[in-house]
Amino acid sequence: MMAGSNLENVLRSGTFAVTGELGPPKSGDMEVVRKKARILKGHVDAVNITDCQTAIVRMSSLTAGLIALSEGVEPVMQMTCRDRNRIGMQADILGAAALGIKNLLCLTGDHQKFGNHPQAKGVFDMDSIQLLQMVKGMRDDKKFQCGEEIKKAEPRLFLGCAANPFADPFEFRPVRLAKKVEAGADFVQTQIIYNVEKFKKFMEMVRDLGVHEKCFILAGVTPPKSLGMARYMKKFVPGLDVTDEVIQRLADAKDQKEEGIDICVDIINQVREIPGVAGVHVMAIEWEEAVPEIVKRAGLADRPEPKGIEPVFTSTSAIDEAVEKARQEARLELQGELEKAQAEAQASRELVVKEKEKVASEISGLKKQIEEAKSMVSRKEAEIQKLTEQLQKTKKALEESSTSAASQVSTPQPAAQVQTETVSVASDALTAREKQVLDSLSKGLAALKEVLGLNDAQFEAMKRFLEAEFMLQLGTVVREVAAAPAAPEAPAPEPVAPAQAAAPAEAAPAPEAEAAPERPKEVVNLVAQGNVALHSKDYKKAVELFKKALEISPDDEKAKAGLEEARQALAEEKEAADKAVEVKEVEGLPPCPEEIDPEEWKQKWVVRFTARGNVALMKGDFEAAKKEFQKALELDPDNEKAKDGLKRAENKEDIYIPDVKPGEAAAAAPAPEAEAPKAEEKPAQEEKPAEPAPEEAKKAEEPAPKKEEPPKEEPAKPKPKVEMAAPAGEGVGDLGVAPLPKDEPPLEERAKGIPEDVYKEPCTGVIQSVTLGDGDKAMIVGGETALPFHTFEGDIPNLPRTAFEVLDAPPEEWPECLLKHYSDVVNDSAAWARKCVNEFGAEAICLSLDSTDPNGANVSSADAAQVAKKVIEAVDVPIILWGCGNAEKDTETLREITSLVENRNVCLGPLTDANYRTLGATAMAFQYPVVASTPIDVNLAKQLNILLENLGVHLDHILMDPSIGAVGYGLEYTYSVMERIRLAALTQQDEKLSPPIICNLGREVWKAKETRLPTDAELGDQERRGVLMEAITASTLLLAGGEVAIMRHPKAINLTKVLVEGML
Amino acid sequence: MIIAERKPMKELLGMISGVKRLLIVGCRGCVAVCSAGGDKEVSILAAALKLGVKKAGGDIEIDTDTLVRQCDPEYIEPLNDRGSDYDAVLSMACGVGVNFIGDRCPDVNVLPALNTTFYGANLSSGEWKEMCAGCGACVLHLTGGLCPVARCAKSLSNGPCGGSQGGRCEINPDVDCIWQQIYDKLASMNRKDELREIMPIRDWTTAGHGGPRRRIREDLLP
Repeated sequence: MMAGSNLENVLRSGTFAVTGELGPPKSGDMEVVRKKARILKGHVDAVNITDCQTAIVRMSSLTAGLIALSEGVEPVMQMTCRDRNRIGMQADILGAAALGIKNLLCLTGDHQKFGNHPQAKGVFDMDSIQLLQMVKGMRDDKKFQCGEEIKKAEPRLFLGCAANPFADPFEFRPVRLAKKVEAGADFVQTQIIYNVEKFKKFMEMVRDLGVHEKCFILAGVTPPKSLGMARYMKKFVPGLDVTDEVIQRLADAKDQKEEGIDICVDIINQVREIPGVAGVHVMAIEWEEAVPEIVKRAGLADRPEPKGIEPVFTSTSAIDEAVEKARQEARLELQGELEKAQAEAQASRELVVKEKEKVASEISGLKKQIEEAKSMVSRKEAEIQKLTEQLQKTKKALEESSTSAASQVSTPQPAAQVQTETVSVASDALTAREKQVLDSLSKGLAALKEVLGLNDAQFEAMKRFLEAEFMLQLGTVVREVAAAPAAPEAPAPEPVAPAQAAAPAEAAPAPEAEAAPERPKEVVNLVAQGNVALHSKDYKKAVELFKKALEISPDDEKAKAGLEEARQALAEEKEAADKAVEVKEVEGLPPCPEEIDPEEWKQKWVVRFTARGNVALMKGDFEAAKKEFQKALELDPDNEKAKDGLKRAENKEDIYIPDVKPGEAAAAAPAPEAEAPKAEEKPAQEEKPAEPAPEEAKKAEEPAPKKEEPPKEEPAKPKPKVEMAAPAGEGVGDLGVAPLPKDEPPLEERAKGIPEDVYKEPCTGVIQSVTLGDGDKAMIVGGETALPFHTFEGDIPNLPRTAFEVLDAPPEEWPECLLKHYSDVVNDSAAWARKCVNEFGAEAICLSLDSTDPNGANVSSADAAQVAKKVIEAVDVPIILWGCGNAEKDTETLREITSLVENRNVCLGPLTDANYRTLGATAMAFQYPVVASTPIDVNLAKQLNILLENLGVHLDHILMDPSIGAVGYGLEYTYSVMERIRLAALTQQDEKLSPPIICNLGREVWKAKETRLPTDAELGDQERRGVLMEAITASTLLLAGGEVAIMRHPKAINLTKVLVEGML
Repeated sequence: MIIAERKPMKELLGMISGVKRLLIVGCRGCVAVCSAGGDKEVSILAAALKLGVKKAGGDIEIDTDTLVRQCDPEYIEPLNDRGSDYDAVLSMACGVGVNFIGDRCPDVNVLPALNTTFYGANLSSGEWKEMCAGCGACVLHLTGGLCPVARCAKSLSNGPCGGSQGGRCEINPDVDCIWQQIYDKLASMNRKDELREIMPIRDWTTAGHGGPRRRIREDLLP
């Protein structure tokens, strides 16, 4: 063991090692280091702490390494030779060793020229190999570099070095590594590997030298975060070989970050197979979060238990802080738990109260029903009382009649027996009286029916009761009557009377009995009871009663009819009940509790499913979320929240809840879910979704605002068509720009007294007038006889113009601050063009056919032509069609388009010396203007114009594109070339250089680094910066002689227009 | 040869503001060869300064002279008398000449007209390039005659750093990577293996880090 560091332990144990990288901040903010260390902790064996990488001043690697160590992450301290001489370096090495740093990576260091202090004196007292030698000497020989002895506590350090297999001369690279190992390197980390083949060759040579047996080789990898980053590394980072395959994979990827991680994992898997590779060094530059995922996917997540990571130096305040923090966290956690429990308890309490209320209201409802039933009963009783009274009366009348009958005939005869066989005994007179009584009785009953509002059946029932009673009463009375008067007056033959009295009692007398067949009394009773039951809706009982009646008298029509009716009613009731049950058990939901309306129950489940879905969304489990939302939608296909949720789950957007601390989030998130298991524990609650669920769901669904806020001052609705000529104040929308004041007196006035020829230098040439577009919106550019804006020297009939650039496919690399103005239309070029015209007042549209690039998406010419056709049809302003820059493909595409839109005057470009013949001929055929494009050179520009003219294209159909450099990217060069072209045309009458100049500048500006760097304190707001770069580039180029500027940002265009207007 | 270049006019005019009588002294040594301070440059500068001072509304009387060398006492000592007649003597020699006049002519107000830039060679007309750093510990025998101290941006001793790409230095694509050239040269001479040797850490005392340097040859001392 050299130093006993964790990295050394891992490597020596033969485990495939993983190291990470941590760039210290450009500030004294310890938290940055801590945060990064925490992300990497447990996923790597050690972390490189860079030493002012790219020569930019940062927190020192020693300090940041110690902070990482205090977080339990083992640092590999990097040390460069750029900033310290041997005295400073040895001092730092002693200090590092004293404070527990055990790994040291020795580097020469990036040249100070690359950093933020290029004026600094580079020290380079030694190089990395000599540094290794020096530290090895300190460790193994216990000697300072000068040879003096280190008397005690020599620095025990595990020494590393870097190797770049992709730098030149390639054959020397393994030799140089061998030198480093000889000088003292115990391990080596390589430059970022994308070209695995070349690395394999390098390793082969390394193995030939036997170096892999003397040191541990860790292959360097970096996940490319974006296509832009990969391209940048390929172009600008010396000694970094980014393969075309990697670029292509990123270009084709839907999710570039995801693809970047995959690329990195693929490379790890490939380099692992190479003999001699002992580990990987994952450099996720400013993307530490990717490391755990990369390590996981590469199957390297199981890191050995760290050994030897002991922060030597921890201040008491740090300890106090840590303790306090732990305490705080514990407290928060407890509090979270408590709150959660309280919320649950509260919810249960509320639930119980609700239950109680519900039961109470049900009870009171039942009571009311009972009361009603009681009052009904008492009413019925009263009715019965009344009827009984009537009966009594009738009885009395009958008694009287029977008494008289008895006295007359001396044979007591019950009146009811009138129609029976026994009646034969009774006299005619008696029968007549009885008839009268019965008649009045039936009339009374009819009246009663009316009064009581009884229906026929009820009435019938009532009547039967009365009849029955009547018969019974009458029998007794008759017997009494027969017995009583007979005793004092003329005792009746005893055996006869009772017999006769008994006989009619058996009969079923009825007033209307004439037509009716004879019916047993019992049957009548049963039928009557049945009818009563039927009408009190007790259908079962009714059926039973009617059945009994039919048992006795199978042919009784009334019973049959009643039975039929009751059965039907019963069937109906059952059907309804079944239906209810059906509703209750929709789609496999738990059975609906009786006291809840099934529909309400369903809604509760919709809410519950939606809430669960949102919880799943929040956790990032989109599959589960989708299922939940689908369930909710099955129940309620129109539920907006569920629909919305489903959409989000399908798009894999998670819900962002702002400002939720981890503890709170943990407490909040599981709540809706916890509801279901809870229901199982407490069956009493199973009936209803616990109240917190919908609430949580709402919380989760609510604003979910996007993290990025619109950066600055100009969001909102852009004012359509900013009127440039309008007085100050009027044309100022958010994207609008106030016109420049025009209060200066004209030049003639200001130059009064000075002879004109002193300040005027009139030109002798004239710029061609080229017509773009057709109809009302056609525009003429050029035509001036003076230098740009020199209105006092000549005629400037046409303003310089601007055109909005529209892409034929969603832009890949537009910064968000530019893209946001078009984000609603990027997928539809026609809509995009329309938006530019209608909303931003575009004077012209330039459709860039970028997607046709054979090196890019390589969309077919036919498809691109269809897009172009739509755009051309969508707007009436002039259109410039700008190809992808590949001469062959552009010829094909632009020809395809012209065949579709021959009746519109479009402008074709760019024509280069490679395709001017074919495209020139096409343009000539349709009389289209063309853009002649040349690489920043007056003579080349002139030559192409001559070639076109020779072909037959008139100079008044040509716009010159001299190639544009944005401000900071060659603007001066462009400016001087354009100026020379203008001077040649105007002052030297060089007609061949007289076509107007078109500047396709938007694309140049928005690819510049300055427009892509995010908003920060030093560079200011990104959008503002971009707008200004674009507007300044445009106005500068218009000053140099440009007539048409193709631009991107609406605000930049408005600024440019205002400047133009203000200067003319 | 020592390469130098004339200071910007603005700086020179500032330097001589208030000077009524000025003597411009050229040198026929290195600076004449690298077209910075010979007879021709002296007369041009004299004219330019006259114009400049006039333009600024001043008045100046300028005399010129060009010495064989300004780094030998016999050539500069006459200045001790002559120079004191002038408000200032503007030396167009390298820094050595200016210093020497400063040392030897206490009554002379000597001013530098040039910036002394490096030890270099004339690549072609109008182009000079640094070749030596005067480090006092030459290792050219180890490196095929090509100096890594003067010509490597980081003065590396043990081969090219990771920024060497296509024979160019990472700090500027116009700069050659001297270590690539050393490698190629030694390879062509079949001496590639020598580069496997580790060149030990350097002693910079001879490069001026040990204080002002001087050289003595006993046998030649008077």
